[in-house]
Amino acid sequence: MAKLDGKKLLACCANGAGSSLMMENAIKKVMTRNGIKPAELRHCPVSEGKTAARNYDVVFCARTFAKTFEGVESAGTVLIPLKNVMSDKEIEAALKEAGLLD
Amino acid sequence: MASVLQTIVEKKHYKFISGEGVTWQEAVRLSTESLIADGSVSEDYYKQIIACIEKYGPYVVFDHNVAMPHTTENAEGAYKTGIGFMVCEHMIDFGEDEDGEKKEANLFFTLSSANPEEHMENISQLSNIFMNDDLLDALAAARTPEDILEAEKKYPCEE
Repeated sequence: MAKLDGKKLLACCANGAGSSLMMENAIKKVMTRNGIKPAELRHCPVSEGKTAARNYDVVFCARTFAKTFEGVESAGTVLIPLKNVMSDKEIEAALKEAGLLD
Repeated sequence: MASVLQTIVEKKHYKFISGEGVTWQEAVRLSTESLIADGSVSEDYYKQIIACIEKYGPYVVFDHNVAMPHTTENAEGAYKTGIGFMVCEHMIDFGEDEDGEKKEANLFFTLSSANPEEHMENISQLSNIFMNDDLLDALAAARTPEDILEAEKKYPCEE
């Protein structure tokens, strides 16, 4: 079973309307390509994500917002900051690097 | 179904400017003019976008000098879902990001969102456009609406 099967994934951006949606689309691509079925994949604004992050296994955000999520790792959440939010290649590489994807 | 670029041309949601000496704030305002013209957004909708970029930095400027200025879904003054497309002959300076990397843009896709489904469709098509470097180069060289359609025909996106 893939490591991300059944996990809860969250994509955050400033407004929860633009880049987080792009991230969600790109994450979906990576999941489909690797045959992974996460339990949940959604997007939201950083303001909401800040408190919600602890309830997710993996949180994706643009690098600008990485600081906002400082400390979530102590709750066991993996933070994946991205340079290019719509790059499925970057997401795939980052997940591999984090040991979440073979 | 019409592609976002076809819709941009159809609804006249485009603008071509020189951009020389234009600040990013002024460029953001100019990019909403075509949306204001048909009542898609209010005349001061752009102020919310500027406030957002001032707060969070130029994260709306992506690779390949593409800017996607936007606010939240169902923002005040966003009456219809649409994309205000703008081409600048000169680069617009957005300052530096958190790593000190210079951010500039000559292509603007300014978003207005009033309908979640339409907005979702726009975003997903834009993702494909933003990953299509040949198309972006051709769009940056566009000076007329016909050029926009020609660029898309020449460099179609997958899917």
